[in-house]
Amino acid sequence: MRLDSARALKAQLLEEVTSVPAADLSAGGVWSMTARPIEDVDPVARTLALGITRPTPGDYRLALRVQRRGLENTRQVDGIRRKARGEVDVRYVGHVVKQALPWEQTRKRPLLIGLSVGHYKITAGTLGAFVRLRKGGALRVLSNNHVLADENRGKAGDAILQPGAYDGGKSPRDRIGTLDGFVKLKTAGVNLVDCALAALDPKVTFKAAALTGVGTLSSATAPPAEEIDLVEKIGRTTGHTRGRVTAFELDNLVVGYDQGNLRFDGQIEIEGASTEPFSQGGDSGSLIFTSLGHEAAALLFAGGDQGGSNGKGLTFANPIAAVFDQLKANLATK
Amino acid sequence: MRAVTGATLDEARAAKERVRAALADRPEVTGIGITRHGDGYAVKVDLVRACTAVPPEMGGVPVHSEIVGQVRKR
Repeated sequence: MRLDSARALKAQLLEEVTSVPAADLSAGGVWSMTARPIEDVDPVARTLALGITRPTPGDYRLALRVQRRGLENTRQVDGIRRKARGEVDVRYVGHVVKQALPWEQTRKRPLLIGLSVGHYKITAGTLGAFVRLRKGGALRVLSNNHVLADENRGKAGDAILQPGAYDGGKSPRDRIGTLDGFVKLKTAGVNLVDCALAALDPKVTFKAAALTGVGTLSSATAPPAEEIDLVEKIGRTTGHTRGRVTAFELDNLVVGYDQGNLRFDGQIEIEGASTEPFSQGGDSGSLIFTSLGHEAAALLFAGGDQGGSNGKGLTFANPIAAVFDQLKANLATK
Repeated sequence: MRAVTGATLDEARAAKERVRAALADRPEVTGIGITRHGDGYAVKVDLVRACTAVPPEMGGVPVHSEIVGQVRKR
């Protein structure tokens, strides 16, 4: 049938379906009521869903989705078939539930590499790694300046949330610690890193070396960028991905921030090793590690949607040695 | 044009500086680095949009270019 006919039929039938009491639709005892807590009863009964499908270009049919077994052969469904003159696609879809969130976007204690994290005023980025200050050995959480310090706008002591606010994190419930320090992003001149540290609140637990679903982070230092080929990361948005280093010692890299275009020198460029991008928005702050030895190699901070041999864009990262030098910290694996 | 093969890392670094100077005023350029080329290395130029000014080689060192578009914080 034509699209406008399908739409008109759908509108007419939708009114009929929603006006029929659920008890009538369940003729035959399909929906027999059992005793259970009232909070277990759906406020909206699962019955029939109506839409439009296009089996071939230019040809439309009514799409009837049955959400409870036994309704396929009721009088109502037979009536719909007749009204659509057989031009209806009936399918049982059962109980439809919302998709479960990826673990990276949920609240987790102990803290793990790859989790959603952020300054309370930003959306969300990624918890990259755990480090220890060279002076005194205090433990800190590593991510980007634009994740933990809101692009220089944050102040020491500001709340850091896990998950980040975009993923439902709220203070004080989800506070894991406070902004400790950051390397200032410069609008004039050259930047080498986009990084910041957060101090954890007492009693907030963490697993410093766990690469969830991958293995264990090595305490060894990664080889120089020119010797690295395959890398991986765990990020808030795209989870665990694999990539390939496509350039290093990348200078004059122009990156768009809220405060304008900033220039970075000495960066590492990575493409996705599969048909998917290596990263997307929200993966900022992810620790990039070598596939071969799981050694920390770089801190993910930027990307674009074009380029790469799979056409899914490129990811840019600070060499981890530059990050540690600027923050005067070393990787913690315990 | 003579054939070019992958250079040593030092040669690629020197060529990168010359490419940087040659393209200093080009607004299409958004990054200049080093990439692998066979068993050696080459210069890589990242572009916001097409740029005909990128040389195919610099002193015998291959120069690759790629349109990467606008790069944003992630």
